[in-house]
Amino acid sequence: MFSTSNGKADLEAGLFFTLFGGLTASLSLQYQMGTIAAMGPGLFPFMLGILLSFIGLVIFVKGLLGNGEIARNLPLWPLILITASLLVFAFLVLTAGLAIAVTAQVVIALRASEHFTWKRAAALSAGLLIFCYVVFVYFLGISLPMFAV
Amino acid sequence: MDLFNNLGIGFDAALSLNNLTFCFVGVLVGTAIGILPGLGPLATIAMLLPLTYSLEPVTGLIMIAGIYYGAQYGGSTTAILVNLPGESSAIVSCLDGHQMARKGRAGAALAIAAIGSFFAGTVATLLIAGFSPILAEVAFLFGPVEYFAMMVLGLTAATLLAHGSFIKGVAMVLTGLILGLVGADVNSGTYRFTFGSFSLTEGIEFVAVAMGLFAFTDIVTNIRNNTAREVTAPTLGNLWMSRKEAKQAAFPILRGTMIGSVLGLLPGGGAMISSFASYAMEKRLSRHPEEFGHGAVAGLAGPEAANNAGAQTSFIPMLTLGIPSNGVMALMIGALMVHNIAPGPFVMVSNPDIFWGLIASMWIGNAILIVLNLPLIPLWVRLIRVNYWILFPIILTVCCVGLYSIGNRVLPIYFAAGFTLLGCLFWRMRAEAAPLLLGFILGPLMEEHFRRALLLSNGDVAIFYQSPLSVVMLGAAAIICVIVLLPQIRRGRSAAFVEEA
Repeated sequence: MFSTSNGKADLEAGLFFTLFGGLTASLSLQYQMGTIAAMGPGLFPFMLGILLSFIGLVIFVKGLLGNGEIARNLPLWPLILITASLLVFAFLVLTAGLAIAVTAQVVIALRASEHFTWKRAAALSAGLLIFCYVVFVYFLGISLPMFAV
Repeated sequence: MDLFNNLGIGFDAALSLNNLTFCFVGVLVGTAIGILPGLGPLATIAMLLPLTYSLEPVTGLIMIAGIYYGAQYGGSTTAILVNLPGESSAIVSCLDGHQMARKGRAGAALAIAAIGSFFAGTVATLLIAGFSPILAEVAFLFGPVEYFAMMVLGLTAATLLAHGSFIKGVAMVLTGLILGLVGADVNSGTYRFTFGSFSLTEGIEFVAVAMGLFAFTDIVTNIRNNTAREVTAPTLGNLWMSRKEAKQAAFPILRGTMIGSVLGLLPGGGAMISSFASYAMEKRLSRHPEEFGHGAVAGLAGPEAANNAGAQTSFIPMLTLGIPSNGVMALMIGALMVHNIAPGPFVMVSNPDIFWGLIASMWIGNAILIVLNLPLIPLWVRLIRVNYWILFPIILTVCCVGLYSIGNRVLPIYFAAGFTLLGCLFWRMRAEAAPLLLGFILGPLMEEHFRRALLLSNGDVAIFYQSPLSVVMLGAAAIICVIVLLPQIRRGRSAAFVEEA
């Protein structure tokens, strides 16, 4: 799916929407459908899912016929590192505290750019930590531990 | 007169020291963030939204509105100084604004943009104050059928006017509608698509969706994109416009305000389409169309006024009908809901201080903008030059802490991470994310009205074409779809965009 050759935006999009629509429709089946007059919780999402997968198919076919748009190249490393930095922050902020979460996030995220040096990471984390403490903890009164035990 | 009475209530609410301070802070921070290249109003508001949650509803909304105007103006500043539009509505400002800047008239260009925006903002505020009560009266006549039809039309029009492929936009709206349904079903109380997780019963946190799809996706896709950013800002020149420039700007500002005010009202309208329309009109009316694209004053003044007027009047359908006409309005609705206010014709009656306070704050926000921005331009110029590697970790961390602060839990951060992956995938597939956000906000509402309509008619689908209003709106939506999907005409549309851009 992530091949770098181009002309695949519509193929991939079509596939994605078809699968997502299909998944929604099939998951809706576990809820009551009801009747048109008294709809159960399953009917509306079921209809949306079917409609989406149909439109997905149309997009897919459009891609197959060669009318599709060119896919952009996904910057894979930045994507992985930025996402990882979010996950790491979420994981650490309550278990290890804000200080460690911010530092870890900055170090990981900064690796995504070509400008990474340890010195810059350290300076940025220190500044951010002070900023977050002053704005969020002190002014807005959000309860976040600096260091969790 | 009622109008002035109401505005009086509004100014009373908005002019308290507390609200004024937060309006000021909102405009300041909004400009500061919006000025950063690559960060449009959507990403800016998503990023700053959690900051307003702990405030009183009136204060919070006033601050968000301030952030919005700030971000909008900040985007124009970047467009003029470095030729980097933060958002689609600023593309037009690049054309002649940046050319003026390169001729050493950057200061004048910024002043024209500020004054044009302020004038447009003043007119649009009066229009909102005058028209909202009337539209709200009409909205009271709306039943579930009309609401459903209105939403279909609004979503179709918004998708049409969003960038990129129409059919992918429709698919994105549907995806958003589905994601919006996650959580407890209003009618039966059944938990849908929660996968047994209790934390999902209230639905997916919409700030997490917005941050993931806009702010974080922008970071991932811009991080290695150094070349475009290394443009140095030209010298400012004289920070005031000459008499000749003022004369050239006057009528375009007037016309831009009119176009923007009207287009902002339409579903799917707003800042972007207004600025494009105004640019096209000025070019046609000008006695020197050859100057356009080479620093024509009219080519900057008109669109700048139009985009601000449009940005503002698009509040009218949002406030009176509860229907967002663009992504920013979708965020506004989300923000209202956080403060337990369901946007719609009832807000005006049940929370007059909020409704009129917000409107008064629009004008105050615009006034602060002009007072604040012109003297601070040197500061903004320095901000634009800050390296991206310094900015993006700051954005990431501030967003993360903000996400945590919404409900003192980390779950929204995990969701934002997921939506970042999704947002990047959409970026690769060239599927515009703003329609998804509209669908996400409208999902539950649309389902409710759809179900209620069919309950009223006892399951007879004919109810949707028995109300004349609904027929008109659904018919308009159908016509849009047919026209866009006819391939020859679609090719014409993309050509029109190329011509204007």
